[in-house]
Amino acid sequence: MAQMSFCDSRPADLHKKEKRAPLRTWANACIPKERRPPADSDETRGGHCKAEPERRWVRTRLPVSAEDGIIMDYAEQQGAVPTGLCGREEVALLLCLRGLHSLQVLVPSLLHHEMEVTMEKLGLIYDKTYAWDIFSDMMRNQSQYTFPSAELPRPFTDSTRAILVDWLIQVHEVFHFSEETLYLAVHLLNRALRQIKVSISNLQLLGVVCLFLAGKKEECLLPEVSELCYLMENGYSKKQLLRMERRVLCELKFDLSHCPPLHFLLISASIARCSDKVVWMARYLLELSLLESQCVVFQPAELASAALCLARRVLQEPPTPEGETAWCIASSLNVCSEPTRQRIMQILAVAAARAEGQDTRASLIKFSTAETLHVSSHPALRSAPHLLGLHCPPTRAQMREGAM
Amino acid sequence: MAQDCGRQYERVAEIGGGAYGTVYKARDRQSGQFVALKSVRVQTDQDGLPLSTVREVALLRRLEQFDHPNVVKLMDVCATLRTDQETKVTLVFEHVDQDLKTYLNKAPAPGLPPERIRDLMHQLLHGLEFLHSHCVLHRDLKPENILVTSRGQVKLADFGLARIYSCHMALTPVVVTLWYRSPEVLLQASYATPVDIWSTGCIFAEMFRRKPLFCGDSEVDQLRKIFDVIGLPPEEEWPADVTLSRSIFIPVSPRPITKCVPEISQLGADLLKEMLTFDPLRRISALNALSHPYFQEG
Repeated sequence: MAQMSFCDSRPADLHKKEKRAPLRTWANACIPKERRPPADSDETRGGHCKAEPERRWVRTRLPVSAEDGIIMDYAEQQGAVPTGLCGREEVALLLCLRGLHSLQVLVPSLLHHEMEVTMEKLGLIYDKTYAWDIFSDMMRNQSQYTFPSAELPRPFTDSTRAILVDWLIQVHEVFHFSEETLYLAVHLLNRALRQIKVSISNLQLLGVVCLFLAGKKEECLLPEVSELCYLMENGYSKKQLLRMERRVLCELKFDLSHCPPLHFLLISASIARCSDKVVWMARYLLELSLLESQCVVFQPAELASAALCLARRVLQEPPTPEGETAWCIASSLNVCSEPTRQRIMQILAVAAARAEGQDTRASLIKFSTAETLHVSSHPALRSAPHLLGLHCPPTRAQMREGAM
Repeated sequence: MAQDCGRQYERVAEIGGGAYGTVYKARDRQSGQFVALKSVRVQTDQDGLPLSTVREVALLRRLEQFDHPNVVKLMDVCATLRTDQETKVTLVFEHVDQDLKTYLNKAPAPGLPPERIRDLMHQLLHGLEFLHSHCVLHRDLKPENILVTSRGQVKLADFGLARIYSCHMALTPVVVTLWYRSPEVLLQASYATPVDIWSTGCIFAEMFRRKPLFCGDSEVDQLRKIFDVIGLPPEEEWPADVTLSRSIFIPVSPRPITKCVPEISQLGADLLKEMLTFDPLRRISALNALSHPYFQEG
């Protein structure tokens, strides 16, 4: 592999990049603008009434309890029957409230509403009537983005892969690519490593091609091939890079679809009304999962759920009734089994505690900026495994002491 | 190995020269199955395969995961380098012997029974609704690229290819049929999914007539033939910023559609009128067409 010396050539303003709207690439992924469905709102949307009353979660004494024993209900803030209601769902909701049926009847429509609002806010959908369909599609299809085994074909090892992914995280940042591009690139790499026979000397080339292809799928602005070669210290020629591109496309049969765990994370976090700090912490932990080979066997939604739970555990923010209730609602989306979640949380906790002592520090640096609320340098991360009843790995300083 | 498209598939016959290049019937040497090979040569510069090609083919691959019964299967894709500036992308589709054109020609004298037409239309719209819900346009729907299997199953072919081929198209001077083109395409206004509904309307009429509905020989002539039936649209429906002015057309009022398609039922005529609506925003969508009472009748 060519030298991974790219760290040194990082531009100084790397972390001062402008704020990007999250998930902007969903809109241009694959779908040229002119192909958007026309605004034939007459039939589909015309009937809907836009005016919606403000709502909030309140605790009530309904006889049905949700997860964690918290009892919840959905109430209109403005009291009895607001005048602005006219949509079918709203009417159904009111009927439910009047009859005070069980929450099981109520929660789906609540979730529906939350999902619509959230996905619209995140820019994942054009038309909120499809929110639930799209989310169900994501849930249904996500298992195809996992791998049966974490084992890598020889001669690759978990640590060579981790070094490569770490380098890709840096390159991805230099080009100001979106996070979806990074998740897609690593997913393509995971597939390519298993499907294409490459020598270890071509591993970096394979990695860069995966990032390049992910960029072609997700980004508006692409680096030139010569820039990519330069980043690899011209260890490979442009021709070699383009040949690898063709090879990867052919072997992966042009299938560049992915369902990034980040989308699940942002949807859950938004429905759960998580604080910015929790969200940044979860994003950091989720990014750490990219370096862990063992994480490829988990589904994107499982990884997202574990990252979010661990972030909350680590930060220990004082609970508020609204926050807890919202968390419960978001939890009902969860399909992750508790043992699986614990398992992932343990992996991430150990990775986070170890991060400082590792050579692969791209995410650690990336998430230490003011913009990301310095989450990666949060002191509680070092003892994160403790929270889950694990031993903490020794820090670098302790190791040095031990060696003396 | 995907790269060895040439070796894995043995060409059997030339199926046709579509607007975008020759299509071959071929046999998969491994499975013995017949496939349709469609190749397109794309310009590859120093940045490799063009972004649009990568995205479009990836989208076709994604659609494949849904395994829709009314959409032709994309079985394989491969890219081979021809010269430094050109890459050949070959799409391997399932092969279906018969298209709607031959199917209609083969139908005995009085034409297809109305129930058969209803079923074909339902399948056609079902496939179209699937494509449209995934933001894929066909853009060039016509009886030649609607396939009908021996068991009467409709499969849409050649969708989403327009963009992949677009860079290549200028190089192939073939006459592209205008007969199924919607007014907004003929006027070179902006267009979206309703273009396919227009084409579907034309094909719907053709299933009864067993000959095309509007056979123009130029853009203007095609529009004239359309207005002869649906009437010249009012000034306010005429799209802004198009080169063709409304004033060059003689004002005509709409004729009852049953004059052109006498065999059609009342509800069928009603659906057809909704499909052949000039204003794309008021034209019926595939989803709504599927729940039209025409499909409940009989």
